[in-house]
Amino acid sequence: MAPSNAKRRKLEHVSSGEDDDDSFAGFSGSEEDSSESAQPSVNAESVGQDFAQGLGMDDGGIDENPAEEPESTVHLEQAVARASREEQAIVNGAAKTAQPKQMPMANKISYSRSYESGPSKSGIFKLQMDDMLERVRPRQGKREAAAEAALHRLKQTIEQIAPRPAQSVEDAERALLKEKIVIPFPDPRPSKDVLYKLEYAKPANITVVGSHVLKVTSAVRRLLQIDMVVQMPSHLLQSKDYLNYRFFYKRAYYLACVAAALSGAHGDEYSVSYSSMHDNVLLPVIQVRPTGKTSSVADKPAKAPAWQIDIALSAADDVFSAEKLGMSKNCVRKNDEQVKAHDSPTPLYNSSLRTCMLMNAYLVLQHKAASSCAAYRDACLMGSLWLESKRLGSSISRGGFGNFEWGVIVALLLRGGGPNGKALLGPGYSSYQLFKATLQLLALQDLRKKPLVVGEAKSFTESSEWPVVWDAERSHNILYKMTDWSYQALQSTAKRTLAALGDQHFDAFDSTFTTPVSSRLLDHDCLIELAHAALAKSATTKRERSSPLLSDLYAVLRRGLGDRVDEVDLHVPSTPDWNIGVARPPPSTGSVTVGLRVDPEHAHRLVDHGPSADNKAEAAAFRAFWGDKAKLRRFRDGSILESLVWATEEAGQSVVEQVCRYLLGKHFGARVEGSARFVGDECIPLLWKANGIAPFQPLMEAYKQLETDIRGLEALPLSIRQIMSADAQLRFASIEAPSITHGIKQAAPAAVTLQFEGSSRWPDDLVAVQRTKLAFLLKLGELMNDNVEAVQSRMGLENQGEDVSNQGFLDITYDNGAAFRLRIHHEREQGMLERQMKLKELDPKTKQTSALALASYKRDFVKGSAHTQAIAQLATRFPGFTGTVRLIKKWFASHLLSNHIPDEIMELCVARSFTQPDPWSVPSSTQNGFLRTLAWLAKWNWREEPLIVDMSGSGELKDVGYQAIGTRFEAWRKLDPALNRVVLFAASHVDHDGTTWTDGQPSKVVAGRMTALAGAAMQAVEAQSIDLDPASLFVSPLEDYDFVLHLSAAAFGSRKKSKETGFKNLKVQNTADTSLVGFQPAEDFLTELQTLYGAAIVFFCGGAERKVIAGLWSPLTAPRAWKVNLRVF
Amino acid sequence: MVPKKSPAVVTSVNDFTVLPLRVPGLPSYPKDTTHYLYLRPNAPKAPTADTPREVFLVNVPIDTTDVHLRSLFADQLGGARIESVAFEGARVGKGITSPVAPVRKKRKRGQEDGEGAAPAEVGQLPEVWDRDTHCSGGTAIVTFVDKPSAELALREARRAVKSGKQITWGEGVDGKVPALGLSRYAAHHKLRHPSHHALQESIDAYMTTFAAQEAARAKTLARQRAEPDEDGFITVVRGGRSDPAREDAVRLKEEELKKRQEKMIGEGFYKFQHRERKKREAQALVGQFEMDRRRVEEMRKRRGG
Repeated sequence: MAPSNAKRRKLEHVSSGEDDDDSFAGFSGSEEDSSESAQPSVNAESVGQDFAQGLGMDDGGIDENPAEEPESTVHLEQAVARASREEQAIVNGAAKTAQPKQMPMANKISYSRSYESGPSKSGIFKLQMDDMLERVRPRQGKREAAAEAALHRLKQTIEQIAPRPAQSVEDAERALLKEKIVIPFPDPRPSKDVLYKLEYAKPANITVVGSHVLKVTSAVRRLLQIDMVVQMPSHLLQSKDYLNYRFFYKRAYYLACVAAALSGAHGDEYSVSYSSMHDNVLLPVIQVRPTGKTSSVADKPAKAPAWQIDIALSAADDVFSAEKLGMSKNCVRKNDEQVKAHDSPTPLYNSSLRTCMLMNAYLVLQHKAASSCAAYRDACLMGSLWLESKRLGSSISRGGFGNFEWGVIVALLLRGGGPNGKALLGPGYSSYQLFKATLQLLALQDLRKKPLVVGEAKSFTESSEWPVVWDAERSHNILYKMTDWSYQALQSTAKRTLAALGDQHFDAFDSTFTTPVSSRLLDHDCLIELAHAALAKSATTKRERSSPLLSDLYAVLRRGLGDRVDEVDLHVPSTPDWNIGVARPPPSTGSVTVGLRVDPEHAHRLVDHGPSADNKAEAAAFRAFWGDKAKLRRFRDGSILESLVWATEEAGQSVVEQVCRYLLGKHFGARVEGSARFVGDECIPLLWKANGIAPFQPLMEAYKQLETDIRGLEALPLSIRQIMSADAQLRFASIEAPSITHGIKQAAPAAVTLQFEGSSRWPDDLVAVQRTKLAFLLKLGELMNDNVEAVQSRMGLENQGEDVSNQGFLDITYDNGAAFRLRIHHEREQGMLERQMKLKELDPKTKQTSALALASYKRDFVKGSAHTQAIAQLATRFPGFTGTVRLIKKWFASHLLSNHIPDEIMELCVARSFTQPDPWSVPSSTQNGFLRTLAWLAKWNWREEPLIVDMSGSGELKDVGYQAIGTRFEAWRKLDPALNRVVLFAASHVDHDGTTWTDGQPSKVVAGRMTALAGAAMQAVEAQSIDLDPASLFVSPLEDYDFVLHLSAAAFGSRKKSKETGFKNLKVQNTADTSLVGFQPAEDFLTELQTLYGAAIVFFCGGAERKVIAGLWSPLTAPRAWKVNLRVF
Repeated sequence: MVPKKSPAVVTSVNDFTVLPLRVPGLPSYPKDTTHYLYLRPNAPKAPTADTPREVFLVNVPIDTTDVHLRSLFADQLGGARIESVAFEGARVGKGITSPVAPVRKKRKRGQEDGEGAAPAEVGQLPEVWDRDTHCSGGTAIVTFVDKPSAELALREARRAVKSGKQITWGEGVDGKVPALGLSRYAAHHKLRHPSHHALQESIDAYMTTFAAQEAARAKTLARQRAEPDEDGFITVVRGGRSDPAREDAVRLKEEELKKRQEKMIGEGFYKFQHRERKKREAQALVGQFEMDRRRVEEMRKRRGG
């Protein structure tokens, strides 16, 4: 360890040593910033600390509402830093006087300090990051060598191309067609009667640009991509060529000439094709890839190409005036008759042209940044990994923000962008600081309203509706390819990452850099798929933008959906590359996917209020937008408003779908509407009564009634301290919502605990305590029957034979059907059981029963009620929570795992997806929450990771709590490394034990099956994506089991099939009969099976969801040893 | 038991006779099954007077009752009369797999009073099952009326094995034992909700005995406290002034005192304390760092890098 660290640190020293002067200026500058904490001993880490503080201050600059890192923590960190430096001196001194061997120790301390006082408090994060950077740093390998060899050969070929004389467009095209080359003209293609000529001449120069040459690509990428730039000689271009696509036509011709030469010279070893650079139709490039024919491994033709060279054309940076290509200029003139003032600006066109002129300039900029700032390359690498994992990229189809944009923005921020034109980032920042500060910029500054301008903004004056990072020196908008929606997506992604990085308790490393954001189904609540072709035919529009149609679509949906959705995101398929011998494929193929992130609060509103009828202008606009759907209505408060009324969701379509369909039909025609496929909450029909917590309300009201009734009893011998609920039905989390209408009795009574005020008259004996509790219950039941109307109560016994455990309960059934199971909580039981377990003279069996009794006491009386409260709070906080829990439980039940995985664990898993949603936002729909929980289950490494959930939402689980849970987890794993007893470890802010629910079950086999099933489900989601039928995730084959017992419906007391119920022989037909409350023969049967055969068979049961019990012979007992002689009586 | 195709049915293992029993099919699974019961004369390490007339059974079917065994030996295996049957363990709780000594004396229902008995014996809660079941592969000891009966039973079993006579399990017990299946659980449901009155009675009985016992014990303790024993010492026993509630108070007080003491010699009172604290912090830091490093390394290994 130590050597590698030392080496890295040395590297840093070396690199800072060869820095030029201005980086030293940066060093001293930041030193001054924190002069109050200045110490004579300036070593590597103290510099780092100062930078950290510097960043803290800069944060304030970027951050408009600096809630991220409050003032006090900065002070605290300074204090820590100061203290640690003193400490360092002491330790160093001690090390010197003692023995030189201790130096590595001191080193470690300083290393651990260096990350501890940085912005990332967690040491493990920094270690992981260093480790990752080490692995992904570009290195010279086989494919790099191959690609570079190819580069040289290509360069030679291009240099030797013979010039072609100037000829008209038609002649040029014909000439090239003879060589089977098509010129990739942008749309619209040049008209036949243009006067200018197309010509080819030797390129001015050929360079390699981009991330490869800057060494900022990650080495673990599948495809090595190298950008080669051929500069067109300036004499081919005229000063007016920037207008009306002329430059692009000439460029296309030049490119076709290069392609002709390349395919002629290297056609058999490389495949040469056209492609659109970053999906920009104006900028075709040549793609060169190895064909695989000449590769040494001939028998693997299907192997993906290892590298790819993109050949782009550039122009000298002074051929056209930069001012004329400003963002507000129009360069595509209409016919002369039209008035000039009507020409709208063409920013995409202008910026695309500027891109061609600035390729070398940006290479120089990035190179300078890399040499002046030691951490620049690492920051770019981190950025590239982050972008990769969030599926963002430079091409328009991936949002228009990729490695290049990231690298250039970081480079620009190192030179300016701060207040008063100062640099926002310092050259001495660590890579993580650069990364985080850039993220902050992306997340917190709205670049649409307040563009970031770097350098003297001469030509830049106005703000625009698009995101702008204006590089004044090169007069170019870095974000020119971004759209409204992709910018929003980028911003929210950056925000989420920042939030995750700010969370001190959870390791955000994986979600930030390595976990790829998978299927869109997980990302969005609703997906709408439209046929691109239908959309293209439907309407015309005047706006000039990457895809004007999409802008319209976005604008219409955004306006129409209003506050029903938080985010609208559009995805278009990327344009594929095409053969150089054929014409460019039409741009509008495939389908456009619209992703919606729904706001669950408003999404289901049935009536929309528009402007008042008095407001003529607005009302007219409203009517124009909504057409016939807009109706004038008078509301209860007397106001007369334009309004929209949607059908209720029970009819089949959600309101969001109705709105979208209506708008598509109105604005884009019936064809588009017809082609639209809507994927929303497909899971909803899988649940019975799925609308949030509403189905649980009757039971909750009955519970309140119960509480008042019990508190109203006057003759109780002790006063009541509290009544708590401890049941899935009372925390909105049971698969079936309890239906207590029409006097049908609830099948499973909801557990409730009752605690009396303390009294010294309770007996001092555990068995006697249990009997006393029974006596209290008897009395309570008597009083209830006598004093409260419409209620019936009766006693029940449990835990037969374990007389220190709870022995009985009181079932209270209201005539309306609500049923409760009341147990008495006596707080001294715990102490008595603990004392009993400490007794030395106790025999193992009694000890074991006491341990079991203690565990069940904690579970039923202490943790159960706390858990219930926490979950109930979550259910009211997040509208999608209840549905998700019920769906996840249904999933477990469908796969016959519900008798192994406790309900509480399933609830905690779901709670985790809601409280730690990273890398997504909080799920707002049931399906989304469900799929994300499955995704997490699939990758949860329960062997190494505890599940820790802070459900409070206010950070009630403090550092101490996390540490305590962590220690417990480690201790369990040390104690039981084979995972025979505790497999899943799940703690929450109300339960620091972590084993309350999982002591003894599930077993390793079951947990493994859970992971495998979730993995399979995720695979299906990935593979089928939008075509997924959620119901298929709930289908589990029974072939895997050794035998299956099919239970009759009667065993579940199924009231839906009460006509064919099997209770005839019992003469208890009447479902209104209270005696059947709590009668669950299937459960009793399973318990008995487990008792009788549990040693040899593992049983799987899905409860009422799936009426089977499946069994697997335990592999341990299959070759069963002859046990007769062991069983000595 | 484990599903394996036994190619040849063994007739004896060690000194056990292997008796095949035909378990008739059920409506839900209309196929006959064979269950193997192992028998031998009982040979415990410490024989008792009853040992000669006992037979040891292994792998008794889970639904065995003494009615089953009585009818098996009386009607199908020569007519030996059984005095009593003792099954392995009583009801064995979930998760407890170790064999438990058999409960010889089965408590008879209704016989619940008795002067001077321990409270565990009186005031028992009502039974919640109408019939016991036994763990798969369990054992039982059958005590016959006399030694010849036991020998007759074993001989008959051996003969039945040899002749291949078909012996049907549970023949002739219909109506004599409560049924299994859904009705068993319905009965259980009924039994576990006993009548208010019965439960009250049982608890009253228990509480009375318990109270009497407590009173007696308190009396003895009080006497012990008051009287020196023969050596002239007074035994220190629980009770008296320090009842449990006060014990807690004492503990709290002790903690408080301890805290006060700590406060008096504060953390940074002596220079060495300060030094040691710093040292501890540094060590903790290094420890944390080392741990993090290890974890990262593990993570890397897991990724396979």
